[in-house]
Amino acid sequence: MLRDITLGQYYQGDSWVHRLDPRIKIIATLAFIIELFVVNSFIGFATAFAVLAVVIAVSRVPLRFILRGLKPIFLIILFTFVVNLFMIDGEILVRIGFLTITREGLYTAVFMATRLILLIIGSSILTLATKPISLTDGIESLMKPFSRFGVPAHELAMMMTIALRFIPTLLEETDKIMKAQQARGADFETGNIFKRAKHLIPILVPLFISAFRIAQDMAMAMEARCYRGGEHRTRMHEMKFSGRDAAAVALMAVFLAIIILERIFI
Amino acid sequence: MKTRFLMQAALIAAVYAVATILTGAISYGFMQVRVAEALTVLPALTPAAIPGLFIGCVIANILGPYGLADMICGSLATLAAAFFSYKLRHRPILVPLPPVIANGIIVGAMLYYVYNVPVSLPVCMGWVALGELISCYVIGYPLLKLLKKHDRLFK
Repeated sequence: MLRDITLGQYYQGDSWVHRLDPRIKIIATLAFIIELFVVNSFIGFATAFAVLAVVIAVSRVPLRFILRGLKPIFLIILFTFVVNLFMIDGEILVRIGFLTITREGLYTAVFMATRLILLIIGSSILTLATKPISLTDGIESLMKPFSRFGVPAHELAMMMTIALRFIPTLLEETDKIMKAQQARGADFETGNIFKRAKHLIPILVPLFISAFRIAQDMAMAMEARCYRGGEHRTRMHEMKFSGRDAAAVALMAVFLAIIILERIFI
Repeated sequence: MKTRFLMQAALIAAVYAVATILTGAISYGFMQVRVAEALTVLPALTPAAIPGLFIGCVIANILGPYGLADMICGSLATLAAAFFSYKLRHRPILVPLPPVIANGIIVGAMLYYVYNVPVSLPVCMGWVALGELISCYVIGYPLLKLLKKHDRLFK
């Protein structure tokens, strides 16, 4: 029952975008999001769209995967669009009964919806083309400068790696618990939302107990192998800054330059 | 001892992520009832839950549709909430309150400012807080009472 859940959004591939340094991808995504809020015209959005199109084409992630990411927020986009379309006063373009569409309303509606769509697609490229594990490595490396101020970068990344490793195990465990309880007459499928929510409690308790047993065993195994944190630890995959990464930085720099010029001159 | 703390936190993170995956459809966005948020009562049992819930939330939001902004804002909200829940651990009835407040304010504001959800800011915060209220008090509070019976496990 739970086996067909795909974990996250990662799309297996070996494109240039997949092989980029995860640190570059995180920074580029952050920059892209900030730039979307700096943009105040459709020329800026067209540039952003062009940049995204290049990245998507290079990443070879099928378009339907990207559009699938938009599905859960489709309602919000639609809602935003409709509310902006009808609620803003200005020069009236169309009148349908008591509803009016104004020039300003239409502009704002299209503007907001475009920004939202670009925002979601832009940030889902990051998770589509980066394994959660390399994302973790990237986060650890980016947080390292903060460890001087007491941020435990290595420990947090370690926890994240272990957690990712055990998600499939715990999903399987949950499946077993649910089946065992259903065999004894538990009912997860009827009742209102409150009842259904309450039915999850008897699943969470055994799940926890088994998770804590795993934690206990893992800690013991690690201590037996003399694990003592981040100092002097070596890695199997070292992150390296390559020509590809330089190209990505150049693309982002050009994008940024266009956005700034566009704000100054238009 | 430190390794054990680390592993407990990691497994709490994994349970949080699993609970979010299982109830994916209602776990993100503006009218969310994220069942995993019931786990925010855990800091009352072990301090390992503070980093654990934070990491769990980062992972859940990596897997979710809202992208980087949610990974940062949502997770920091959870971190702050977990810290205050830990501080309130001697008053069980108040333990589920910090996540309601922190997520309502931070996630509500994020949805309003970053994703332009077209309702007023207080309404947006209110909806998120309401969802949290359901998961934290309807599921979280009874869960806390049940898990307290097993507190040998958390020592």
